[in-house]
Amino acid sequence: MSDSHHEESFWRKYIFSTDHKTIGIQYGITALLFLFFGFSLMMIMRWQMAFPDQAVPIFGGLIKWLAELNGFASVGNLPSDLYNVFGAMHGTIMIFLGVVPLVVGAFGNYLVPLQIGAPDMAFPKLNMASYWVYFIGGVIMLVSFFLPGGAANSGWTSYPPLSVIATTGQTFWLLGMVFLITSSLLGSINIIVTIVQLRAPGLTWMRLPFFVWSQLVTSFLLVLAFPPLEAAGFFQLMDRVFDTSFFLPSGLVVGGEALNVSGGGSPLLWQHLFWFLAHPEVYVLILPGMGVIAEVIANNTRKPLWGYKSLVYSVVFLGFMSFLVWAHHMFMTGMGQGMSIFFQTTTMIISVPSVIILSCFMLSLWGGSIRFNTPMLFALGWIPMFGIGGLTGLPLGLSTPDIHLHDTYYVIGHFHYVVAPGTIFAIFAGIYYWFPKMTGKMLDEVLGKIHFFFSFIFMNGIFWPMLIQGLAGVSRRLADGGESYAHSQGTLHLNEFMSYSAWLLAVAQIPFIINIIRTLLRKKDAEPDPNPWQATTIEWTDTTSPPMGHGNFEKVPTVHRGPYEYSVPGDSSDFTPQTKN
Amino acid sequence: MSRNDMTHHISNYRKIFVYLLIGTVLTVTASYLEFNVQNSIAGAVFVGLTIATVKGYLVAANFMHLNSEKKIIHWILLLTVFFLGLLLFIPLLWDLNLMSHY
Amino acid sequence: MEIPYNVEVREDTGLYNSKLGIWLFLASEIMLFGGLFSAYILLRTGAPMWPPIGADGHSVLHILKDTVPHATFNTVVLILSSVTMVMAWVSLKQKDLSKYKLYLGTTIVCAIIFLVVKYFEYSHKIHEGFVPAHDTYMALYFTLTGLHGLHIIGGIVVLAYFFGPGINMWVSEPERFTNRIEIVGLYWHFVDLVWIFLFPILYLLN
Repeated sequence: MSDSHHEESFWRKYIFSTDHKTIGIQYGITALLFLFFGFSLMMIMRWQMAFPDQAVPIFGGLIKWLAELNGFASVGNLPSDLYNVFGAMHGTIMIFLGVVPLVVGAFGNYLVPLQIGAPDMAFPKLNMASYWVYFIGGVIMLVSFFLPGGAANSGWTSYPPLSVIATTGQTFWLLGMVFLITSSLLGSINIIVTIVQLRAPGLTWMRLPFFVWSQLVTSFLLVLAFPPLEAAGFFQLMDRVFDTSFFLPSGLVVGGEALNVSGGGSPLLWQHLFWFLAHPEVYVLILPGMGVIAEVIANNTRKPLWGYKSLVYSVVFLGFMSFLVWAHHMFMTGMGQGMSIFFQTTTMIISVPSVIILSCFMLSLWGGSIRFNTPMLFALGWIPMFGIGGLTGLPLGLSTPDIHLHDTYYVIGHFHYVVAPGTIFAIFAGIYYWFPKMTGKMLDEVLGKIHFFFSFIFMNGIFWPMLIQGLAGVSRRLADGGESYAHSQGTLHLNEFMSYSAWLLAVAQIPFIINIIRTLLRKKDAEPDPNPWQATTIEWTDTTSPPMGHGNFEKVPTVHRGPYEYSVPGDSSDFTPQTKN
Repeated sequence: MSRNDMTHHISNYRKIFVYLLIGTVLTVTASYLEFNVQNSIAGAVFVGLTIATVKGYLVAANFMHLNSEKKIIHWILLLTVFFLGLLLFIPLLWDLNLMSHY
Repeated sequence: MEIPYNVEVREDTGLYNSKLGIWLFLASEIMLFGGLFSAYILLRTGAPMWPPIGADGHSVLHILKDTVPHATFNTVVLILSSVTMVMAWVSLKQKDLSKYKLYLGTTIVCAIIFLVVKYFEYSHKIHEGFVPAHDTYMALYFTLTGLHGLHIIGGIVVLAYFFGPGINMWVSEPERFTNRIEIVGLYWHFVDLVWIFLFPILYLLN
């Protein structure tokens, strides 16, 4: 019984929909476009680093036009002022406009209600609002590229004093962030209430798919960690627009003139408020991905996840600890010994639940009947990539090696391992896995495997040499890639190698794009298999592919089992749905 | 719900309103009192914040019905207040623990 | 399929959906104002004197002391508005729509009075040259009370909606409407609560 009373107009059905599935797809498409844009910014930056001051091929004219619009000189190359803009915006866009909207807004919105047997999110209209607020934030960020002086250029971290005296693009960045933070808050409140209140009968906490647990913890991080950055954003706006100096020390001289501001501020105050969010933010980036990996591994080993309880306790503990480590981003600011000991200790402690989660995933493979399909390949590839990312974080979390490594390419290599092959591989695994649920059609396996194989190679080609360059002392955020420093000379040759890897990584995405387009254009079967992966969780076992609109389920499902009842002894098939008696 | 069921709620709100007014008068009066010159600011801060906390508790417990609220809300607020404490005090402790003073 | 627990409570949590939602929102607001207060703590303890002396050689102290009566009046007005807000909810529980409108209307009037007094306070200070750029105290004063004021304005908009067009839900779904007023009330009490802390911190501890 579907309750489509009247035909919905195109606008209500596709643009201003309150259906979580439509909103999830909206988030997905928008976020993927932003990811592509952020990736393009990086590809141009990598040209500048490999071939400094040479005109960018094909796009040189466009770069020249943009540079001159912003007031920078260019012969088609990327001038250093514009390099700084691209660097700051690459980070901002990838994190706040790309990954988080994708893993929380798209995956979270689409899947959570389905996996818990709910008809929709708890607050459908709020859900629609949070998408459009995100959209506006994105527009503000994009528009800022066209301002004199360009978009924000003080790093995605926007440290004062530089950010306070920077060009107008920074003000737009701050305004954009206010919208993005608001969207995030509304979305995560929705997810928490949905998970707490709308679980189907029988779906107890310890029967939840790990994906849902990871979304729950992620949403708590967003609700509690984002607001201090919003406060800091208001303070920086006041500094830039009303000549206050929350973040500027007294007596600051800029361009030979003392600033006429209120005085008495602290640049460190910004760092505290910023990193109070930004550390939990990195867990926001990875936890949903871990949730995806868990689902894909359980499904493709045909056995329950190893250590479900350990996984749940670890992810909750991880979320809690993430609020206690932020100053490991500030070891070089002159902190006292007491503070340093505290933050090093908490940082070492937080690595424990991460290792437990990774170990549980690896142990889950033992004795499994592993199916090497594309989602599983991405999940298997994820494990060592996230492992490298995590391990390379250790010397950064200890203040002594951090003296050598802080602000070098080692840091960039470390965090890209966790977010690039880390988050992105999890996203790809999720897309290949849930595509048939969303569309009723499977993506092509051959194209998928090609996509995986070459992406894996080139990801490592980009980021492994960064670790080497960083250890050699090459600083980050240098427009010339380290060319002007004596200590960089020994590792400079790696720049070209990394740049080619980046461009080849782009080429490796072509099979993926072709796959998506061809599969979307292909005709759907008359009655698509609702559960092609033979999975146990509710979204596979109790809905059609795609799920029916407005309500998801013909009737409320009742849950009788845990989420990963694969290969139950005595059962006729190798998977037993959660809703089976 | 009949008129009578809400009566005890209403008399409670009236009572709390009076306490809040008294608290406001107290806090303004206290700010004008002379403390021991040495500790005047610390003392004033302590008294002012204590009265504010009591007033805040009265609003939260009674007008916001936190006293009779469900456990899950209490846990969420406890978690929030814990993180709030970190946010309020770590930067300050940091300053007191600085390696060098500018 | 309807979304469950919009009005009736879920058994194991004892809550209806928007009750949990608003408390989560208030938790985020606690962290927001927490960020603002932590800046106040850090910048004040780092200042040689408080309120600081600006470039013009003056501190705002004597003007500040003159405005303590206004701020005290505002504090009483907000506390009163909190009482009338909860009484508006009580009136709905008692199925008395006209009492609801009276109490809600009073709440809105109190909020507007608060803003009017604030407007006079701001103009007075600005007129005397005490702008945000004057010194750290003025910067904090305007930012903190400004953000609080924005929350009051937002509250007025929502309250006005439930006084006006939104009141139709009382006819179609009275229980759900009563819940909505309870939720709005929680937001309003929180705004009052923040002021209860802002008042001594900004006006009295100098």
